[in-house]
Amino acid sequence: MKIDCSIDGKTLTLSLNSNKPLSLILSENIGDGAAVNHCRGDMCGLCAVLVNGKPMLSCMVPAFEIRGKEIITFESFQKTRAMKDIEKAYELVGAAPCRECYASRTMIFESLISDGVSEPEEIIKELSIVRCPCMDTEDEVNIVLKAIDIRRKRRVRRS
Amino acid sequence: MYEGLSSPNIHTPHNMAEFSSIITHYPSSTMWAGGTYIMTRPDAYPSKVMNAEIIFLGEIEELHRFQRNDRFAEFGSMVTLDEVMSVGKAVLPKVLTDNIREIGSRLITRRATLGGAISTKGLTTSFPGTLVALDANVEIRMIKKKRLHSRWMQLTRLLDRNGTISLPPQSMISRIRIAFTDKNCQFFRSTGSFMTDPENAMSVSFTASLDQDVLNNPTIAFTYPSHGILYSRDIDNVFSSLRFPLDESERRNLEMIIFTFIDSSFQDLSDLQKIRTKGMLRAIVDELNEKTLTMPVQD
Ligand code: FES
Repeated sequence: MKIDCSIDGKTLTLSLNSNKPLSLILSENIGDGAAVNHCRGDMCGLCAVLVNGKPMLSCMVPAFEIRGKEIITFESFQKTRAMKDIEKAYELVGAAPCRECYASRTMIFESLISDGVSEPEEIIKELSIVRCPCMDTEDEVNIVLKAIDIRRKRRVRRS
Repeated sequence: MYEGLSSPNIHTPHNMAEFSSIITHYPSSTMWAGGTYIMTRPDAYPSKVMNAEIIFLGEIEELHRFQRNDRFAEFGSMVTLDEVMSVGKAVLPKVLTDNIREIGSRLITRRATLGGAISTKGLTTSFPGTLVALDANVEIRMIKKKRLHSRWMQLTRLLDRNGTISLPPQSMISRIRIAFTDKNCQFFRSTGSFMTDPENAMSVSFTASLDQDVLNNPTIAFTYPSHGILYSRDIDNVFSSLRFPLDESERRNLEMIIFTFIDSSFQDLSDLQKIRTKGMLRAIVDELNEKTLTMPVQD
C-alpha cells in the first residue's frame, strides 16, 4: 500500500503493509529506532509522537491512518526552540526523565505545554501513560507549569 | 520487515450505504474503530490471515454525531471517550464520567471509541460494565438478506451467559443511547490494569436511589476483563431488599450471597480479583451506610 505522509517535516511516499504500526515504520523504514519503542501491547508508553500536533502512542496507529498526516518525532523535535523551553524547565525544576523515557515523556510534555494545560490533575493523567517510574508527579506538574511560563515570556520578548 | 507479506485490504466507507455494500461483499471483514484493542494484541502485526479485509469506520460521518434531549444523550459509535467527556461531562451520569476519568491518559481516551469499547472481543476497558449498569440502549445495524436493518436493543440483552457482549454476525453498533438519571448513589471503582493485567483487574459500577434507608432501582455490574461482565437482576433484587445502614453481620451476609452468584457465573476468578471484589463491596456498603446516616430525616 502506498502512503503519503509527512514525517519530521519531510514529505514521503512509503510503500507499507497497511496495518504496520507507526512505531515500526519509524524504526524500520525511517531509521528512528533510538527514540521510539515497540512493546507489542505492554502499554509501556514509550512511543509517543505528535500526529497533527496531538500526542499519540505510535504503536497504536496503523499505517493506513497516517495517510496525509503530519508526524513529528523526538528526532526532529529535539532540535527546535520549543525543546529548549522544556530543557530549561527540567533544569529549573531539578528533575528530568531518565534516558529510557526521555523522548516519549518529552513529546507528551510538549503537547501539554503547547495546549497550555495547567490543571495538575490533567497533567498527571496525561503523563500516567508512561509507565517508567523515574519521575515524581509533582515534578511533572512543575515542569509543565514552568515551561508554559518560559514559553510565554519568550513569546512576549520576541513580539 | 514483513513488507512482503500480504497486506490487509482497507475499505473506507463514507456512509452506511457504502458500509452495507462492503460488508455484503466481504462478510468476514474486521471492523476497525479506534484500533486500541486490535493494535495492542501482541500478534497484531504482521497479520496472520491471508487476504484480510479491514473496514475502517472512521470516515462514516453519522457515526461521529452526538445529540441530546432532556431525557438522554445519544452518541454515534465512533465518538471517542474523550469526546464523550467534553460534550457530556455536565449532564452524563457520574458513574460514567468517573469511569472515563479512571481509564486514564487522554492518549488512550482520544483514540478509544464508544462502539469499539463495547464491541471488541476482549474487555480492554471497564466501560461496557458501566453502560450495562446504566441500562444503555444500542442501535444495531445488521445485514439481513443483503439489506441493512436497524434495531434498538438494551445492552443487557446482548450479554450472553459468559458475560460477553455478542453481536449478530455482519452487524455493528451504530449509536449508543444513555439516559440521564437522578439516582443519588452512583459508584464506580476500578482496580488493576484491564490492558496489562486482565487476570487480576476488575471494576464495579453501581447506581441506585437511596430514599431514607431503602434503595430503589439498584443496578450493579461487575467487570472482570479475563472473564466478562457479571450483571444479574437477582443481584439487584438482593440490594433492593436491604435496609441501610447494614451492620457487620448483614454486610458479610450480603457478601456471601453475591459471591454465590459470582461463583456460579465465573468459577475461576483469581484470588486477587476475589479480594478486590470484596473490598469494593465493602466500599459500596460503607458509602451507603454513611449516606443513610448523614441524610436529613424527613417528617
Ligand atoms: S510501544 Fe509500548 S505503548 Fe507503544
